[in-house]
Amino acid sequence: MNAPNRYELYVLEEGERPVEVTEDTKIPNAATVKIVKQDHTLANLLRSQLLSMPQVTFAGYKVPHPLHPYFLLKIQTDGSVTPTQVLETACTKLIGTIATLEAKFKREFTYNADGAVQEDAYGVPVTGDGLEGRSYIDF
Amino acid sequence: MASSSSSQLPPSVFNPRRHVGVHAERVSDVASTDFPGHYPGEDHTWSLARFKENLTVSVKRLSQRSVEFDLVGVDASIANAFRRIMIAEVPTIAIEDVFVWNNTSVIHDEILAQRLGLIPLNVDPALFSPRLPGDIPYDRNTLVFQLDIECSRGAKGAIINEYVTSGDLKWVPQGEQESVFGDLVPTATNKDIVIAKLRPGQVINVELHAIKGVGKEHAKWSPVATATYRLHPLVLLNPSKPIPPHLAQKFASCFSPGVVKVSPDGEVSIDDRHLRKETMSREVLRHKEFEGSVELKRVRDWFIYSVESEGPYAPEVLFPESIKVMRGKIAAIRAAAEALLADSEGPDAGAAAAGPDADGDVEMEP
Repeated sequence: MNAPNRYELYVLEEGERPVEVTEDTKIPNAATVKIVKQDHTLANLLRSQLLSMPQVTFAGYKVPHPLHPYFLLKIQTDGSVTPTQVLETACTKLIGTIATLEAKFKREFTYNADGAVQEDAYGVPVTGDGLEGRSYIDF
Repeated sequence: MASSSSSQLPPSVFNPRRHVGVHAERVSDVASTDFPGHYPGEDHTWSLARFKENLTVSVKRLSQRSVEFDLVGVDASIANAFRRIMIAEVPTIAIEDVFVWNNTSVIHDEILAQRLGLIPLNVDPALFSPRLPGDIPYDRNTLVFQLDIECSRGAKGAIINEYVTSGDLKWVPQGEQESVFGDLVPTATNKDIVIAKLRPGQVINVELHAIKGVGKEHAKWSPVATATYRLHPLVLLNPSKPIPPHLAQKFASCFSPGVVKVSPDGEVSIDDRHLRKETMSREVLRHKEFEGSVELKRVRDWFIYSVESEGPYAPEVLFPESIKVMRGKIAAIRAAAEALLADSEGPDAGAAAAGPDADGDVEMEP
Protein backbone atom coordinates (compact mmCIF):
# COMPACT_ATOMS: atom_id res chain seq x y z
CA MET A 1 0.00 0.00 0.00
CA ASN A 2 2.51 2.61 1.16
CA ALA A 3 5.59 0.65 0.08
CA PRO A 4 8.16 2.72 -1.80
CA ASN A 5 8.30 2.25 -5.57
CA ARG A 6 10.55 -0.67 -6.34
CA TYR A 7 12.49 1.15 -9.03
CA GLU A 8 13.63 3.63 -6.37
CA LEU A 9 16.08 0.92 -5.29
CA TYR A 10 18.34 1.60 -8.23
CA VAL A 11 17.28 4.65 -10.21
CA LEU A 12 18.90 7.93 -9.19
CA GLU A 13 16.40 10.69 -8.69
CA GLU A 14 16.46 13.94 -10.62
CA GLY A 15 19.65 15.82 -9.65
CA GLU A 16 20.64 13.27 -7.01
CA ARG A 17 24.38 12.72 -6.60
CA PRO A 18 25.53 9.12 -6.28
CA VAL A 19 28.18 9.91 -3.65
CA GLU A 20 28.30 12.49 -0.87
CA VAL A 21 31.06 13.02 1.67
CA THR A 22 30.77 14.38 5.19
CA GLU A 23 34.07 15.12 6.89
CA ASP A 24 34.16 13.90 10.46
CA THR A 25 34.69 16.86 12.79
CA LYS A 26 35.66 14.89 15.90
CA ILE A 27 38.07 12.28 14.48
CA PRO A 28 41.13 13.24 12.42
CA ASN A 29 41.37 12.02 8.81
CA ALA A 30 37.92 10.49 8.91
CA ALA A 31 34.93 10.89 6.67
CA THR A 32 31.54 9.34 6.15
CA VAL A 33 30.64 8.64 2.55
CA LYS A 34 26.99 8.28 1.66
CA ILE A 35 26.52 6.16 -1.44
CA VAL A 36 23.03 6.30 -2.85
CA LYS A 37 21.10 3.57 -4.71
CA GLN A 38 23.54 0.84 -3.80
CA ASP A 39 23.33 -1.99 -1.27
CA HIS A 40 25.41 -4.58 0.60
CA THR A 41 26.78 -5.92 -2.68
CA LEU A 42 28.96 -2.90 -3.24
CA ALA A 43 29.26 -1.79 0.37
CA ASN A 44 30.87 -4.95 1.67
CA LEU A 45 33.16 -5.11 -1.36
CA LEU A 46 34.43 -1.56 -0.82
CA ARG A 47 34.84 -2.12 2.91
CA SER A 48 36.98 -5.23 2.47
CA GLN A 49 39.08 -3.57 -0.24
CA LEU A 50 39.68 -0.55 2.00
CA LEU A 51 40.73 -2.79 4.88
CA SER A 52 43.39 -4.40 2.70
CA MET A 53 45.11 -1.04 2.17
CA PRO A 54 47.75 -0.07 4.74
CA GLN A 55 46.83 3.65 4.78
CA VAL A 56 43.38 2.81 6.14
CA THR A 57 43.04 2.60 9.91
CA PHE A 58 39.30 2.06 9.90
CA ALA A 59 36.66 1.14 7.36
CA GLY A 60 33.13 0.04 8.02
CA TYR A 61 29.70 0.37 6.50
CA LYS A 62 26.07 0.33 7.54
CA VAL A 63 22.72 0.30 5.83
CA PRO A 64 20.73 2.46 8.28
CA HIS A 65 17.34 1.15 7.17
CA PRO A 66 16.55 -1.75 4.84
CA LEU A 67 13.90 0.27 3.00
CA HIS A 68 16.20 3.23 2.35
CA PRO A 69 18.38 2.47 -0.68
CA TYR A 70 21.70 3.89 0.47
CA PHE A 71 24.59 3.01 2.74
CA LEU A 72 27.13 4.90 4.82
CA LEU A 73 30.79 4.04 4.51
CA LYS A 74 33.02 5.32 7.28
CA ILE A 75 36.73 5.64 6.47
CA GLN A 76 39.60 6.77 8.63
CA THR A 77 43.12 6.98 7.23
CA ASP A 78 46.53 7.37 8.83
CA GLY A 79 46.82 10.88 7.41
CA SER A 80 49.03 10.16 4.41
CA VAL A 81 46.00 10.36 2.12
CA THR A 82 42.48 11.71 2.50
CA PRO A 83 39.53 9.34 2.84
CA THR A 84 38.20 10.38 -0.58
CA GLN A 85 41.53 9.71 -2.22
CA VAL A 86 41.74 6.31 -0.60
CA LEU A 87 38.21 5.49 -1.76
CA GLU A 88 39.18 6.42 -5.28
CA THR A 89 42.25 4.16 -5.17
CA ALA A 90 40.15 1.38 -3.69
CA CYS A 91 37.80 1.62 -6.69
CA THR A 92 40.72 1.51 -9.10
CA LYS A 93 42.16 -1.53 -7.37
CA LEU A 94 38.81 -3.28 -7.35
CA ILE A 95 38.44 -2.71 -11.06
CA GLY A 96 41.87 -4.32 -11.48
CA THR A 97 40.79 -7.27 -9.34
CA ILE A 98 37.60 -7.79 -11.28
CA ALA A 99 39.29 -7.42 -14.66
CA THR A 100 41.73 -10.15 -13.65
CA LEU A 101 38.89 -12.34 -12.50
CA GLU A 102 37.02 -11.82 -15.76
CA ALA A 103 40.09 -12.63 -17.84
CA LYS A 104 40.79 -15.82 -15.89
CA PHE A 105 37.18 -16.91 -16.08
CA LYS A 106 36.94 -16.36 -19.82
CA ARG A 107 40.25 -18.06 -20.42
CA GLU A 108 39.11 -21.08 -18.43
CA PHE A 109 36.01 -21.48 -20.57
CA THR A 110 37.63 -20.94 -23.98
CA TYR A 111 40.39 -23.31 -22.93
CA ASN A 112 37.95 -26.15 -22.35
CA ALA A 113 35.72 -25.37 -25.31
CA ASP A 114 38.64 -25.75 -27.69
CA GLY A 115 39.00 -29.34 -26.57
CA ALA A 116 42.41 -28.63 -25.12
CA VAL A 117 43.81 -30.53 -22.16
CA GLN A 118 41.02 -31.29 -19.72
CA GLU A 119 42.03 -30.78 -16.15
CA ASP A 120 40.39 -32.31 -13.16
CA ALA A 121 39.45 -30.54 -9.96
CA TYR A 122 43.07 -30.18 -8.93
CA GLY A 123 44.65 -29.06 -12.17
CA VAL A 124 45.88 -32.53 -13.10
CA PRO A 125 45.36 -33.39 -16.79
CA VAL A 126 42.73 -36.07 -17.15
CA THR A 127 43.75 -39.14 -19.13
CA GLY A 128 40.26 -40.45 -19.78
CA ASP A 129 39.33 -43.02 -17.17
CA GLY A 130 37.49 -42.51 -13.93
CA LEU A 131 34.87 -40.07 -12.73
CA GLU A 132 36.83 -36.92 -13.40
CA GLY A 133 36.95 -37.51 -17.15
CA ARG A 134 33.22 -36.95 -17.35
CA SER A 135 33.31 -33.47 -15.88
CA TYR A 136 31.05 -32.12 -18.64
CA ILE A 137 28.17 -34.55 -18.18
CA ASP A 138 24.67 -33.21 -18.47
CA PHE A 139 22.19 -33.86 -15.72
CA MET B 1 47.96 -44.18 -1.60
CA ALA B 2 46.57 -40.72 -1.20
CA SER B 3 46.95 -39.05 2.14
CA SER B 4 47.32 -35.46 3.17
CA SER B 5 51.07 -35.77 2.77
CA SER B 6 50.97 -37.00 -0.86
CA SER B 7 47.97 -34.84 -1.68
CA GLN B 8 46.33 -33.82 -4.94
CA LEU B 9 45.40 -30.53 -3.32
CA PRO B 10 47.85 -27.63 -3.55
CA PRO B 11 49.94 -27.57 -0.33
CA SER B 12 48.77 -24.03 0.51
CA VAL B 13 45.32 -25.47 1.22
CA PHE B 14 46.75 -26.95 4.41
CA ASN B 15 47.81 -23.53 5.68
CA PRO B 16 45.78 -23.20 8.90
CA ARG B 17 45.22 -19.49 8.27
CA ARG B 18 42.98 -20.43 5.35
CA HIS B 19 40.81 -22.75 7.42
CA VAL B 20 37.37 -22.25 8.84
CA GLY B 21 36.90 -24.71 11.68
CA VAL B 22 33.75 -26.84 11.73
CA HIS B 23 32.88 -28.09 15.19
CA ALA B 24 29.97 -30.01 16.64
CA GLU B 25 27.88 -26.98 17.46
CA ARG B 26 29.71 -23.98 16.08
CA VAL B 27 32.11 -22.77 13.43
CA SER B 28 35.32 -20.92 14.18
CA ASP B 29 37.73 -18.55 12.40
CA VAL B 30 35.13 -17.35 9.96
CA ALA B 31 36.63 -13.94 9.18
CA SER B 32 39.67 -13.63 6.96
CA THR B 33 42.85 -12.34 8.57
CA ASP B 34 44.96 -11.39 5.56
CA PHE B 35 44.76 -7.64 5.85
CA PRO B 36 47.41 -5.14 6.98
CA GLY B 37 47.98 -4.83 10.70
CA HIS B 38 46.61 -8.21 11.70
CA TYR B 39 49.86 -10.15 11.93
CA PRO B 40 52.71 -8.08 13.41
CA GLY B 41 55.64 -7.72 11.06
CA GLU B 42 53.86 -9.23 8.07
CA ASP B 43 52.86 -7.28 5.01
CA HIS B 44 49.40 -8.11 3.75
CA THR B 45 48.95 -5.01 1.60
CA TRP B 46 46.75 -5.72 -1.39
CA SER B 47 48.68 -6.02 -4.60
CA LEU B 48 47.39 -6.91 -8.04
CA ALA B 49 50.40 -9.11 -8.78
CA ARG B 50 49.86 -11.24 -5.69
CA PHE B 51 46.14 -11.44 -6.36
CA LYS B 52 46.78 -12.62 -9.92
CA GLU B 53 49.15 -15.25 -8.67
CA ASN B 54 46.73 -16.68 -6.13
CA LEU B 55 43.57 -16.49 -8.22
CA THR B 56 42.38 -19.68 -9.88
CA VAL B 57 39.18 -20.30 -11.77
CA SER B 58 38.34 -23.79 -12.95
CA VAL B 59 35.20 -25.25 -14.48
CA LYS B 60 33.96 -28.42 -12.89
CA ARG B 61 30.78 -29.12 -14.76
CA LEU B 62 28.94 -27.41 -17.59
CA SER B 63 25.57 -28.44 -18.95
CA GLN B 64 22.80 -26.81 -20.97
CA ARG B 65 21.32 -25.13 -17.97
CA SER B 66 23.87 -25.18 -15.17
CA VAL B 67 27.52 -24.70 -14.42
CA GLU B 68 29.72 -25.52 -11.46
CA PHE B 69 33.07 -23.81 -11.12
CA ASP B 70 35.71 -23.13 -8.50
CA LEU B 71 36.91 -19.69 -7.61
CA VAL B 72 40.01 -19.85 -5.42
CA GLY B 73 41.87 -16.92 -3.89
CA VAL B 74 39.24 -14.22 -3.57
CA ASP B 75 37.75 -12.61 -0.48
CA ALA B 76 34.25 -13.57 0.59
CA SER B 77 33.07 -10.03 -0.14
CA ILE B 78 33.95 -10.42 -3.82
CA ALA B 79 32.46 -13.90 -4.09
CA ASN B 80 29.30 -12.75 -2.38
CA ALA B 81 29.00 -9.62 -4.49
CA PHE B 82 28.95 -11.71 -7.66
CA ARG B 83 26.45 -14.15 -6.21
CA ARG B 84 24.17 -11.27 -5.26
CA ILE B 85 24.56 -9.61 -8.65
CA MET B 86 23.75 -12.81 -10.55
CA ILE B 87 20.54 -13.14 -8.55
CA ALA B 88 19.44 -9.54 -8.36
CA GLU B 89 21.15 -7.25 -10.85
CA VAL B 90 21.73 -9.00 -14.16
CA PRO B 91 18.89 -7.74 -16.37
CA THR B 92 16.36 -9.92 -18.20
CA ILE B 93 13.05 -9.42 -19.97
CA ALA B 94 9.81 -10.44 -18.25
CA ILE B 95 6.13 -9.78 -18.70
CA GLU B 96 5.13 -6.70 -16.70
CA ASP B 97 1.75 -5.54 -18.01
CA VAL B 98 -1.17 -7.86 -18.68
CA PHE B 99 -4.23 -6.38 -20.40
CA VAL B 100 -7.12 -8.76 -19.92
CA TRP B 101 -9.73 -8.51 -22.70
CA ASN B 102 -11.49 -11.67 -21.69
CA ASN B 103 -10.90 -14.30 -19.05
CA THR B 104 -13.63 -16.77 -18.26
CA SER B 105 -11.29 -19.40 -16.82
CA VAL B 106 -11.29 -20.34 -13.15
CA ILE B 107 -7.96 -18.56 -12.69
CA HIS B 108 -8.53 -15.00 -11.51
CA ASP B 109 -7.06 -12.20 -13.60
CA GLU B 110 -4.45 -11.19 -11.01
CA ILE B 111 -3.31 -14.78 -10.42
CA LEU B 112 -3.07 -15.28 -14.18
CA ALA B 113 -1.04 -12.09 -14.51
CA GLN B 114 1.31 -13.21 -11.73
CA ARG B 115 1.84 -16.59 -13.42
CA LEU B 116 2.47 -14.98 -16.80
CA GLY B 117 5.02 -12.61 -15.27
CA LEU B 118 7.11 -15.48 -13.95
CA ILE B 119 7.59 -17.16 -17.35
CA PRO B 120 11.26 -16.91 -18.41
CA LEU B 121 11.62 -15.49 -21.92
CA ASN B 122 14.47 -16.23 -24.33
CA VAL B 123 15.04 -12.58 -25.32
CA ASP B 124 18.52 -11.05 -25.24
CA PRO B 125 18.20 -8.10 -22.82
CA ALA B 126 21.02 -6.26 -24.62
CA LEU B 127 18.55 -5.46 -27.40
CA PHE B 128 16.34 -3.52 -25.03
CA SER B 129 16.50 -0.43 -22.89
CA PRO B 130 14.69 -0.27 -19.56
CA ARG B 131 11.28 1.37 -19.42
CA LEU B 132 10.82 3.41 -16.28
CA PRO B 133 7.41 4.36 -14.91
CA GLY B 134 5.98 7.14 -17.03
CA ASP B 135 8.03 6.25 -20.09
CA ILE B 136 6.17 5.70 -23.33
CA PRO B 137 6.24 2.08 -24.58
CA TYR B 138 7.92 1.69 -27.95
CA ASP B 139 9.74 -1.01 -29.88
CA ARG B 140 13.07 -0.57 -28.05
CA ASN B 141 11.66 -1.10 -24.57
CA THR B 142 8.54 -3.22 -24.88
CA LEU B 143 7.86 -6.65 -26.29
CA VAL B 144 4.24 -7.54 -27.01
CA PHE B 145 2.71 -11.00 -26.82
CA GLN B 146 -0.82 -12.14 -27.43
CA LEU B 147 -2.44 -15.04 -25.62
CA ASP B 148 -5.79 -15.79 -27.23
CA ILE B 149 -7.07 -19.25 -26.56
CA GLU B 150 -10.47 -20.90 -26.35
CA CYS B 151 -11.21 -24.37 -25.12
CA SER B 152 -13.72 -26.44 -27.06
CA ARG B 153 -14.97 -29.97 -27.42
CA GLY B 154 -13.73 -31.80 -30.48
CA ALA B 155 -14.72 -35.04 -32.14
CA LYS B 156 -15.49 -38.01 -29.84
CA GLY B 157 -15.56 -35.73 -26.81
CA ALA B 158 -11.87 -34.80 -27.00
CA ILE B 159 -11.12 -31.51 -25.34
CA ILE B 160 -9.12 -29.04 -27.41
CA ASN B 161 -6.87 -26.54 -25.63
CA GLU B 162 -7.44 -28.02 -22.21
CA TYR B 163 -4.01 -26.79 -21.08
CA VAL B 164 -2.84 -23.25 -21.70
CA THR B 165 0.96 -23.43 -21.79
CA SER B 166 3.75 -20.94 -22.26
CA GLY B 167 4.09 -22.23 -25.83
CA ASP B 168 0.74 -20.59 -26.66
CA LEU B 169 2.21 -17.10 -26.30
CA LYS B 170 2.32 -15.39 -29.69
CA TRP B 171 4.83 -12.66 -30.31
CA VAL B 172 3.44 -9.54 -31.97
CA PRO B 173 6.38 -7.67 -33.56
CA GLN B 174 6.35 -3.91 -33.08
CA GLY B 175 8.18 -1.32 -35.16
CA GLU B 176 11.58 -2.53 -36.26
CA GLN B 177 11.56 -5.57 -33.95
CA GLU B 178 10.86 -7.98 -36.80
CA SER B 179 14.15 -7.10 -38.53
CA VAL B 180 16.13 -6.84 -35.26
CA PHE B 181 15.15 -10.30 -34.04
CA GLY B 182 15.17 -12.03 -37.42
CA ASP B 183 14.99 -15.77 -36.84
CA LEU B 184 15.21 -15.46 -33.06
CA VAL B 185 11.49 -15.37 -32.41
CA PRO B 186 10.89 -14.31 -28.79
CA THR B 187 9.22 -17.12 -26.86
CA ALA B 188 9.34 -18.73 -23.44
CA THR B 189 12.54 -20.69 -22.77
CA ASN B 190 10.33 -23.61 -21.77
CA LYS B 191 7.23 -24.23 -23.89
CA ASP B 192 5.55 -26.60 -21.45
CA ILE B 193 4.80 -24.38 -18.47
CA VAL B 194 1.11 -24.75 -17.67
CA ILE B 195 -0.43 -21.31 -17.19
CA ALA B 196 -4.06 -22.36 -16.75
CA LYS B 197 -6.42 -25.26 -17.31
CA LEU B 198 -9.64 -24.68 -19.23
CA ARG B 199 -12.96 -26.47 -19.73
CA PRO B 200 -14.94 -26.32 -22.99
CA GLY B 201 -16.35 -22.86 -23.56
CA GLN B 202 -13.81 -21.01 -21.41
CA VAL B 203 -11.70 -18.30 -23.00
CA ILE B 204 -8.50 -16.45 -22.19
CA ASN B 205 -7.69 -13.41 -24.30
CA VAL B 206 -4.92 -11.20 -22.96
CA GLU B 207 -2.27 -8.86 -24.31
CA LEU B 208 1.10 -9.00 -22.58
CA HIS B 209 3.81 -6.34 -22.46
CA ALA B 210 7.28 -7.54 -21.46
CA ILE B 211 9.96 -5.07 -20.33
CA LYS B 212 13.54 -5.13 -19.13
CA GLY B 213 14.21 -5.22 -15.41
CA VAL B 214 16.43 -6.58 -12.65
CA GLY B 215 15.85 -9.20 -9.97
CA LYS B 216 15.96 -6.79 -7.07
CA GLU B 217 12.80 -5.14 -8.32
CA HIS B 218 10.98 -8.45 -8.75
CA ALA B 219 12.25 -12.03 -8.75
CA LYS B 220 10.69 -12.64 -12.18
CA TRP B 221 13.61 -10.68 -13.66
CA SER B 222 16.20 -12.89 -12.00
CA PRO B 223 18.17 -14.76 -14.71
CA VAL B 224 19.05 -17.65 -12.41
CA ALA B 225 17.11 -20.38 -10.72
CA THR B 226 19.85 -20.63 -8.12
CA ALA B 227 23.25 -19.04 -7.79
CA THR B 228 25.02 -20.31 -4.70
CA TYR B 229 28.48 -21.06 -3.44
CA ARG B 230 29.91 -23.20 -0.70
CA LEU B 231 33.40 -23.47 0.72
CA HIS B 232 35.59 -26.42 -0.17
CA PRO B 233 35.48 -29.04 2.62
CA LEU B 234 38.64 -30.40 4.19
CA VAL B 235 39.07 -33.38 6.50
CA LEU B 236 42.34 -33.49 8.42
CA LEU B 237 43.48 -36.69 10.14
CA ASN B 238 45.63 -36.44 13.21
CA PRO B 239 48.75 -38.59 12.57
CA SER B 240 49.46 -38.91 16.30
CA LYS B 241 46.08 -40.50 16.96
CA PRO B 242 45.31 -42.86 14.07
CA ILE B 243 41.98 -44.64 13.67
CA PRO B 244 42.29 -48.25 14.96
CA PRO B 245 41.74 -50.79 12.12
CA HIS B 246 38.64 -52.34 13.69
CA LEU B 247 36.90 -48.93 13.65
CA ALA B 248 38.00 -48.02 10.12
CA GLN B 249 34.71 -48.98 8.43
CA LYS B 250 32.68 -47.14 11.04
CA PHE B 251 34.88 -44.10 10.52
CA ALA B 252 34.45 -44.25 6.76
CA SER B 253 30.69 -44.46 7.08
CA CYS B 254 30.67 -41.13 8.95
CA PHE B 255 31.58 -39.37 5.70
CA SER B 256 30.13 -39.15 2.20
CA PRO B 257 30.90 -42.22 0.09
CA GLY B 258 34.43 -42.11 -1.34
CA VAL B 259 35.81 -39.45 0.99
CA VAL B 260 37.54 -41.90 3.31
CA LYS B 261 39.54 -44.77 1.86
CA VAL B 262 40.21 -47.87 3.91
CA SER B 263 43.17 -50.00 2.85
CA PRO B 264 42.99 -53.84 3.16
CA ASP B 265 44.95 -53.73 6.42
CA GLY B 266 42.52 -51.24 7.93
CA GLU B 267 44.53 -48.09 7.41
CA VAL B 268 42.42 -44.96 6.93
CA SER B 269 43.20 -42.12 4.49
CA ILE B 270 41.36 -39.22 2.86
CA ASP B 271 40.71 -39.28 -0.89
CA ASP B 272 41.16 -35.66 -1.96
CA ARG B 273 39.46 -36.24 -5.28
CA HIS B 274 36.16 -36.95 -3.57
CA LEU B 275 36.61 -34.43 -0.78
CA ARG B 276 34.40 -31.84 -2.46
CA LYS B 277 31.47 -34.24 -2.17
CA GLU B 278 31.73 -34.29 1.62
CA THR B 279 28.49 -32.97 3.10
CA MET B 280 30.12 -31.96 6.42
CA SER B 281 27.40 -33.82 8.29
CA ARG B 282 29.65 -33.79 11.41
CA GLU B 283 28.58 -37.34 12.16
CA VAL B 284 32.17 -38.17 13.05
CA LEU B 285 32.12 -35.63 15.88
CA ARG B 286 29.30 -37.51 17.63
CA HIS B 287 31.48 -40.55 18.36
CA LYS B 288 33.72 -40.46 21.43
CA GLU B 289 36.20 -42.96 19.97
CA PHE B 290 37.12 -40.58 17.12
CA GLU B 291 37.66 -37.59 19.39
CA GLY B 292 40.96 -35.86 18.64
CA SER B 293 41.78 -37.98 15.62
CA VAL B 294 40.03 -35.90 13.00
CA GLU B 295 39.35 -32.22 12.31
CA LEU B 296 36.70 -30.86 9.97
CA LYS B 297 37.60 -27.67 8.12
CA ARG B 298 36.58 -25.57 5.17
CA VAL B 299 38.92 -23.53 2.99
CA ARG B 300 37.94 -19.91 3.49
CA ASP B 301 38.82 -18.60 0.03
CA TRP B 302 37.90 -21.64 -2.08
CA PHE B 303 34.41 -21.04 -3.40
CA ILE B 304 32.52 -23.77 -5.23
CA TYR B 305 29.91 -21.91 -7.24
CA SER B 306 26.83 -23.56 -8.61
CA VAL B 307 24.77 -21.50 -11.05
CA GLU B 308 21.57 -22.64 -12.74
CA SER B 309 20.43 -20.42 -15.55
CA GLU B 310 16.73 -20.07 -16.26
CA GLY B 311 16.56 -17.24 -18.76
CA PRO B 312 18.15 -16.14 -22.02
CA TYR B 313 21.74 -16.48 -20.77
CA ALA B 314 23.83 -19.59 -21.23
CA PRO B 315 25.06 -20.66 -17.78
CA GLU B 316 28.69 -19.83 -18.53
CA VAL B 317 27.96 -16.24 -19.57
CA LEU B 318 26.13 -15.34 -16.37
CA PHE B 319 29.33 -14.79 -14.42
CA PRO B 320 30.90 -12.49 -17.06
CA GLU B 321 27.59 -10.61 -17.16
CA SER B 322 27.72 -10.10 -13.40
CA ILE B 323 31.30 -8.87 -13.76
CA LYS B 324 30.07 -6.31 -16.30
CA VAL B 325 27.41 -5.07 -13.88
CA MET B 326 29.95 -4.90 -11.05
CA ARG B 327 32.40 -2.89 -13.17
CA GLY B 328 29.64 -0.46 -14.01
CA LYS B 329 28.88 0.03 -10.33
CA ILE B 330 32.47 0.59 -9.28
CA ALA B 331 33.22 2.83 -12.25
CA ALA B 332 30.29 5.04 -11.23
CA ILE B 333 31.58 5.28 -7.67
CA ARG B 334 35.11 6.01 -8.84
CA ALA B 335 33.91 8.78 -11.12
CA ALA B 336 31.92 10.25 -8.25
CA ALA B 337 34.92 9.99 -5.89
CA GLU B 338 37.10 11.73 -8.45
CA ALA B 339 34.51 14.47 -8.72
CA LEU B 340 34.60 14.86 -4.94
CA LEU B 341 38.39 15.12 -5.02
CA ALA B 342 38.21 17.78 -7.70
CA ASP B 343 35.62 19.63 -5.62
CA SER B 344 37.74 19.57 -2.49
CA GLU B 345 40.82 20.84 -4.31
CA GLY B 346 38.87 24.00 -5.04
CA PRO B 347 37.58 25.52 -8.25
CA ASP B 348 41.02 26.79 -9.26
CA ALA B 349 42.64 23.33 -9.22
CA GLY B 350 39.77 21.35 -10.69
CA ALA B 351 39.08 23.78 -13.53
CA ALA B 352 35.66 23.89 -15.14
CA ALA B 353 35.44 20.32 -16.32
CA ALA B 354 35.63 18.65 -12.92
CA GLY B 355 32.26 18.93 -11.17
CA PRO B 356 29.28 16.79 -12.09
CA ASP B 357 26.62 18.51 -14.16
CA ALA B 358 22.93 18.61 -13.35
CA ASP B 359 22.53 14.93 -14.21
CA GLY B 360 25.38 13.92 -11.91
CA ASP B 361 27.48 13.02 -14.96
CA VAL B 362 31.18 13.61 -14.66
CA GLU B 363 33.47 14.65 -17.47
CA MET B 364 36.45 12.33 -17.54
CA GLU B 365 39.83 13.13 -19.05
CA PRO B 366 40.34 11.17 -22.30
